[in-house]
Amino acid sequence: MALVTFARSSIARLAVLHGLLLATSMMAVLGGVYLGTSRIIANESDQLISLEAQGLAEEFRDKDLDAFVAEIVDRAEDPWVRGGVYELRGPRGDFLAGNVVVLPELTVAAGGWAEFDVAVTRGDADASRRIRGRVTALGGGFRLLVGHDVQDRRTFREVMLRSLAWAVVVTLLFGALGGWWLGRRISRTAQAISASAGRIAAGDLGERLPLSGSGDEIDALVMRFNELLGRVESLTMTMRAVLDSTAHDLRGHLNRIRGAAQDARHGAASDEQARAADTVLAEIDRLSGTLQGLLRIALAESGTAPLEIVDLSAVTKDLTDFYQPVAAPGQLQVTIEPGLTVRGHRQLLAQALSNLLDNALKYGRDTAVTLRLSRHGDAARLEVSDAGPGIAPEYRELATVRFRRLPGSSGLPGSGLGLSLVAAVTRLHQAQLELGDAGPGLRVVLDIPLASA
Amino acid sequence: MKILLVEDDRRASEYLARGLRELGHVVEQAFDGETGLKAAEAGIYDVLVLDRMLPKLDGLEIVRQLRATGSTAPILILSALDEVDERVQGLRAGGDDYLSKPYHLEELAARLDALARRQSEAGPGGKLRVADLELDSRARKVTRAGRKIELTAREFQLLEFLMRHTGQVVTRTMILEGVWDYHFDPKTNVIDVHISRLRQAIDKGFERQLLHTVRGAGYTLTEDP
Repeated sequence: MALVTFARSSIARLAVLHGLLLATSMMAVLGGVYLGTSRIIANESDQLISLEAQGLAEEFRDKDLDAFVAEIVDRAEDPWVRGGVYELRGPRGDFLAGNVVVLPELTVAAGGWAEFDVAVTRGDADASRRIRGRVTALGGGFRLLVGHDVQDRRTFREVMLRSLAWAVVVTLLFGALGGWWLGRRISRTAQAISASAGRIAAGDLGERLPLSGSGDEIDALVMRFNELLGRVESLTMTMRAVLDSTAHDLRGHLNRIRGAAQDARHGAASDEQARAADTVLAEIDRLSGTLQGLLRIALAESGTAPLEIVDLSAVTKDLTDFYQPVAAPGQLQVTIEPGLTVRGHRQLLAQALSNLLDNALKYGRDTAVTLRLSRHGDAARLEVSDAGPGIAPEYRELATVRFRRLPGSSGLPGSGLGLSLVAAVTRLHQAQLELGDAGPGLRVVLDIPLASA
Repeated sequence: MKILLVEDDRRASEYLARGLRELGHVVEQAFDGETGLKAAEAGIYDVLVLDRMLPKLDGLEIVRQLRATGSTAPILILSALDEVDERVQGLRAGGDDYLSKPYHLEELAARLDALARRQSEAGPGGKLRVADLELDSRARKVTRAGRKIELTAREFQLLEFLMRHTGQVVTRTMILEGVWDYHFDPKTNVIDVHISRLRQAIDKGFERQLLHTVRGAGYTLTEDP
């Protein structure tokens, strides 16, 4: 599995590609050098043989036969010093002089080239040497073989080929290593950006990516990214500041109005005045409640609420215990898988849960309410269902819109903010909220990502 | 009791001071942070009420400076900022309680009362006693007239909270915060239901009722209502 993942990763692709590319170019360069060098060497030795053969042909014409044979014997005497190979045959094919005996077996026309191996004893070892030679017709039926030892040339070619192979293997290896290093560097940066974006999405707006200090393109990218983060942070902070100061201002005003109303209630001269003051007080309280609800939603949506590791199982247990006495005996059925922790805001989570239970008990119209908290893949899944009238599919999306109260709920108390808060808390926790059919009734499913251990 | 009220909103301060005076308290007012801090250092008060945001010297800064000089006077912080995370800061700075605006005078008065009077400490062996009702917080045991009363863990906590504030009014919000640590309004009358269950457990079958409802304010556990 790990191998498959590795093979699929961009690092592996880059490493292989980089290695292949380097190896191919290395092969092209060394191959060129090899071909060029071996051609030059081959040409040079062939030229030398041709020149010597030509020279000897002239001597054959100029000298008498005995002197020419003596010359060949002379040249052939110490053959391996100069690397020269000679064989002179008469018109009837009789051996006249030379240091090898190969001509009868060679089926080469005059002027043709031949290559053959000759066994030699050098020191104690028997070795075979490669010879390249040219057969020249001297006239009058005389034939001469002039050759050169090309064993060194052959060895050179073998060494060259072997080095070439090694060079390719080594560059493939180093190329892959280089690619892997490069890829890891890029991939690390990508991972850092991705992790950083995750933390920002989770609300840590002060997060910045580290610069490598090399000033390369990756650094430039990181710098742009950080600029973007700075802008997001300042915008969010401005929004939060506007929200805070507006809230502060409104709460201050409401507080003053409430003080005045309470004062009026206290000094009321008649029952009528007292009732009027009570109405004002009740309205102020309702208004404060709504403001409070909106501010909680805004807090959750601003993403600036501090998150911590929360034992969701414990929070849910506490809250269901809290609500249990309000429900009829056996009405509220609770199943909680223990030990599910999430990264979250305890108060906002508890409040969202409370809203869901409150809704189920209120709109479920005394039907059974089921709450289940369980692990669902990488998430803690909270399901709350009732067997009441539920919400028609076309209204389910509307249900989370602020102040939107659904048809049929007008007789029941509510602010129209309950599910909006749940939706906002859902977003704060990067969770998934789904309103569905409990057949009959409403089934709310909330999937909150589990905190990574 | 003697209260120092530091609040820069003059009208709000007037309404609050008048309300508290009518409840029989002595109230001194300061309208900015500096004079507030000087007054707090110079005088002896049963409780201080500080607005969170004050001109010249911030409410939290006053709390820090007072605590740094060793003052242990109970402090309630009033704030028009959202209380969820703000209250944590307020309490961390050394405040004893936190109330957000707009507040009910009854709520504030009940909290000041709870702050000013020392909470009833558990006696030897961790025991609290109101009339013939006895709570042993170490043994997690409750008896009335010597008879054992079975309570759930939360009911026990609720009773302990009420007994520590015996004779004082505790509001629903105080109970929500003190017993459940919930800082939101659960809409339904959940607290009332919990109280009536507790009342069933401790008062049923006894001639003298200990747990009383205070209309418009909350509850009180006392032997002489």
